[in-house]
Amino acid sequence: MAGNEDDQARFRRVVLPHLSDAYALARWIVGNATDAEDVVQDACLRAFRGINGFAGGNARAWLLTITRHAAFTWLGKNRPAAMVGVDDLEEVERKELDRGLPMEGRETPEAALIAKADANRLEAAIAQLPVPFREALVLRDVQGLEYREIAEVIKAPIGTVMSRLARARNRLIAGIAAQEKVGEGVGKT
Amino acid sequence: MSDPMQNDPRLLVHAYVDGELDPAHALELERQLARDPALAAERERIDALRQVIKERLPPLPVPLALARRIDAAVGSSRTPARAFSAPPSWRALAASVIVAAGLASSATWFEMRPAPAEATADMVVASHLRALMAPQPIDVVSSDRHTVKPWFNGRVTEAPRVVDLSQEGFPLVGGRVDVIGRTPVPTLVYGRRQHLISLMALPSSQSRLGMPSERTISGYHIVTWTEGGVTYWAVSDVAVSDLEAFAKAFREAPA
Repeated sequence: MAGNEDDQARFRRVVLPHLSDAYALARWIVGNATDAEDVVQDACLRAFRGINGFAGGNARAWLLTITRHAAFTWLGKNRPAAMVGVDDLEEVERKELDRGLPMEGRETPEAALIAKADANRLEAAIAQLPVPFREALVLRDVQGLEYREIAEVIKAPIGTVMSRLARARNRLIAGIAAQEKVGEGVGKT
Repeated sequence: MSDPMQNDPRLLVHAYVDGELDPAHALELERQLARDPALAAERERIDALRQVIKERLPPLPVPLALARRIDAAVGSSRTPARAFSAPPSWRALAASVIVAAGLASSATWFEMRPAPAEATADMVVASHLRALMAPQPIDVVSSDRHTVKPWFNGRVTEAPRVVDLSQEGFPLVGGRVDVIGRTPVPTLVYGRRQHLISLMALPSSQSRLGMPSERTISGYHIVTWTEGGVTYWAVSDVAVSDLEAFAKAFREAPA
């Protein structure tokens, strides 16, 4: 069947089922719905042009890889400050590690407090994560990809996926605790 | 992989809650969790975070306007040479298959071999999306099942069971023909508030009753079950609980 279907049919079979995944990733990377739509349209055109290069396998990871690339192109053009180099980031992390265990001195809220975080605060906290952490977290915890799929999309070893995800979650947990404190302060005064 | 963090239990606990540790490491981590309350508390925080993200930030369905834009962009970006051989739109394609279906009176003309469930699920979602993208997602628009059911005669080999579920909050909106694999199948369209539910009826070699099972493909929920030689696929962006209620109502409704 694959032999005689035309590009359009192939595009529809391979790409369309994963359109909302592409849209979700784009939205989380560029930060708003309107620009995400442009990014997804760009990604879909690239996917369409390259549809014959798709060798089968994981169609979702394939489309997400293209979408991520399109989103980074958009960021580079429109939000260059958001493009934290991964090398810079790892360097910052390493220094934090050298100064002492990263877990010490940071907020360790009760799990019950985390469970109460509302959607807006959660979204704001995720939006504040540096892009390499944010994309790992979104791909895993919002979109439910497995580590090996994330590794395929972000072109990094599984060990890197694991450590970025852990750091993203740790920052998020600390962020929720901090917001919670601010919220309490406002409530009291 | 020289990173010393790779063996840190506070890092591995993330892979553990994600079900990504191999059995030996998982076992070792469980031992550590049992004797290290701080690590156990960390695990609870991670679980709570995963849970709250899942609940509060569900994946968004793709905006219809975007889906239409993409359909238009991809349709118009074909090379001129292809434009002659490629069908102008999926609807024209579907229509031509419907005509073929009308001409070929024998069911053996179609390949009835069932596609693997995963591929079928993808095609079901793609058909639903394609229909939403079209200016009119329904070929026959009617809330009257006595209008919808006869419309399928001659268009598919067997008209589907059409039931009235308006009392249950799922008014009938109409029907269309989708092509799953190479088989034209009848699809009923029901409404749920502002959303549409596509219910496709695929011929099945199984006559025994198959209990409903559920899955999600990029934000679209699917509930499928088999009954009377037909496998039903319900797909929509409504909440899973709504889609399950729909499946239950459909199965229990008198024919």
